[in-house]
Amino acid sequence: MRPAPLASLLWTGLRRNLAMTAAVIVTVTICLAMLGAGLLLRAQVHTVDDYLLGQLEVVVDLTDEITPAQRTALETEMHRDPAIVGVRYESGRQVYDRFRRDFHDSPDVVAGVRPGDLPAALRLTLADPRASGDIVVTYTGQDGVEAVRDQRALLDPLYRFLDAFTIGAFALAAVQALASFALIYTMIRISAHGRRRETAVMKLVGASNGTIRAPFMLESAIAGLVGGLLAGGLLVAAKVFLVDGQFARQSTFPLFGWSAVWESGAVVVAVGILAAAAMASLALHRHLRV
Amino acid sequence: MIVLDAVSKWYPTGDRPALADVSAEIGTGEFVFLVGPSGSGKSTLLRLLLREERASAGQVLVAGRDVARIPDRRVPRLRRAVGCVFQDFRLLPNRTVAANVAFALDVVGRPRHVVRSVVPEALELVGLREAAQRYPDELSGGEQQRVAIARAFVGRPRVLLADEPTGNLDPATSLEIMKLLDTIHRAGTTVLMATHNASLVDAMRRRVLELGDGVLIRDEADGRYDQTVPQPIAVPAQSAGDGGVDSGVDSGIGIGGIGGIGIGIGGIGGVGGGVSSPWAPPVRGAVG
Ligand SMILES: Nc1ncnc2c1ncn2[C@@H]1O[C@H](COP(=O)(O)OP(=O)(O)OP(=O)(O)O)[C@@H](O)[C@H]1O
Ligand SMILES: [Mg+2]
Repeated sequence: MRPAPLASLLWTGLRRNLAMTAAVIVTVTICLAMLGAGLLLRAQVHTVDDYLLGQLEVVVDLTDEITPAQRTALETEMHRDPAIVGVRYESGRQVYDRFRRDFHDSPDVVAGVRPGDLPAALRLTLADPRASGDIVVTYTGQDGVEAVRDQRALLDPLYRFLDAFTIGAFALAAVQALASFALIYTMIRISAHGRRRETAVMKLVGASNGTIRAPFMLESAIAGLVGGLLAGGLLVAAKVFLVDGQFARQSTFPLFGWSAVWESGAVVVAVGILAAAAMASLALHRHLRV
Repeated sequence: MIVLDAVSKWYPTGDRPALADVSAEIGTGEFVFLVGPSGSGKSTLLRLLLREERASAGQVLVAGRDVARIPDRRVPRLRRAVGCVFQDFRLLPNRTVAANVAFALDVVGRPRHVVRSVVPEALELVGLREAAQRYPDELSGGEQQRVAIARAFVGRPRVLLADEPTGNLDPATSLEIMKLLDTIHRAGTTVLMATHNASLVDAMRRRVLELGDGVLIRDEADGRYDQTVPQPIAVPAQSAGDGGVDSGVDSGIGIGGIGGIGIGIGGIGGVGGGVSSPWAPPVRGAVG
């Protein structure tokens, strides 16, 4: 069908179904905003990760009884390991000094520890800080090794916190997606009813199934597009007013940048259009026998 | 053009078949009336030709193709070749007359310049050029049916089905519609018209197929609405092809033959109450 008559069909349909279409747009907007929020939270996790990972090390605590030969053997193995890009030895004294520096805000903790209490350590810089698990497994229990500590584990609570919000946002998006589907389903049913004369005539004069379905699919896709754009607008607003306006002043971590907003926005708009059209196509199977 | 071979149709809910073992052949360019009491299966037969339903048994061929075996995505092509009008017109009330006719071309993807030139021709053919910008509810029933005919014919289908096209119209208007269908027939279109209108059938004296309880009980060339002579069961038309010879025309009975077509149309004036002049079909080169 040429664009002009299709647009006229679409326009009459949208006008006839204005209230219903508005309801669909609102639900789709909330759904996609939740999806976008989840994507931004994930972007935030990555931002924090990238910032901190460069500073994270795997610390191999050495036993007090370690022999120079054992230490040499360990270091040789570590230098050969392609996953490890740097090995630095810290004596017990250096470890104690670092400990005092890190905890200078908590004098009580520092007071309870004496210089001899802390073991010497090898500090490893990894090629891929995210792949620390293998290193921990490899060196734990070797001769002269007391314990292997992955500093990344210290960040776990933060990550769990952000992950919980991400999952929450995605779950809400999923619930809203169900609501959107129910509404799109209803919209199609009402629309099919409102258009039943047109549809009957189209069938009669030999319009193809694609042509008969096109206005319905487009109607839904337009609702998806508008919902996607509105949700994208909400993401931008969140970046401007919440992230840059509020959190930026309080946070000690870097926050996600505009590129994350644009990427999430693009995903949200694309998902909006495609998912709405797909839902419409599902609903059409039920309500439009051609 | 249309071949029915031992066609039966049971609806899932029916306790008897809507059509039972119907065999007939309609040649290209024929004009055939389909008569029979209410519920005898006339609409069912037309629905089979449009593939709105499938036959439960037997074969339905349109233009040589077994309709039941056309794949779903090809069904629209069949419907472009088979125009259809109904008792209730089925016009779109929110579109003008011209837009209703144009709709049929738009939705099958015809280019705009074609739509622009063909729609006025079709309206001219049905004598409604002046009414192009009016809406269906501003037209009389007869005029609405003309619009429906223009819409059915604008795509130049090879077959035109009419399901009681005069069912809602008074005798004079019915005759007008009948003339229009005859014009379309004479332009080379095969026309199959289901009707209860006895005076039209009697006036036209065309081939008549009569159904009774789903059974084909009469197939008569130059027939009347009511059977003139006691008529035995119709024999499936095996030999009849396009322009086949009339058999039994002298006696007024044609068994399985194809009625003589397009002869003596001028002689039918005066039927239908009040319409007395011979027809002057407004063809004006629109057909072809
Ligand atoms: N969709 C359907 N489902 C079940 N039975 C049907 C259906 N359509 C028609 N029938 C039955 O099939 C039989 C034939 O119906 P059909 O509509 O073909 O008759 P008709 O000759 O067109 O009648 P009329 O002159 O009143 O229009 C009837 O008994 C009718 O009840
Ligand atoms: Mg009927």
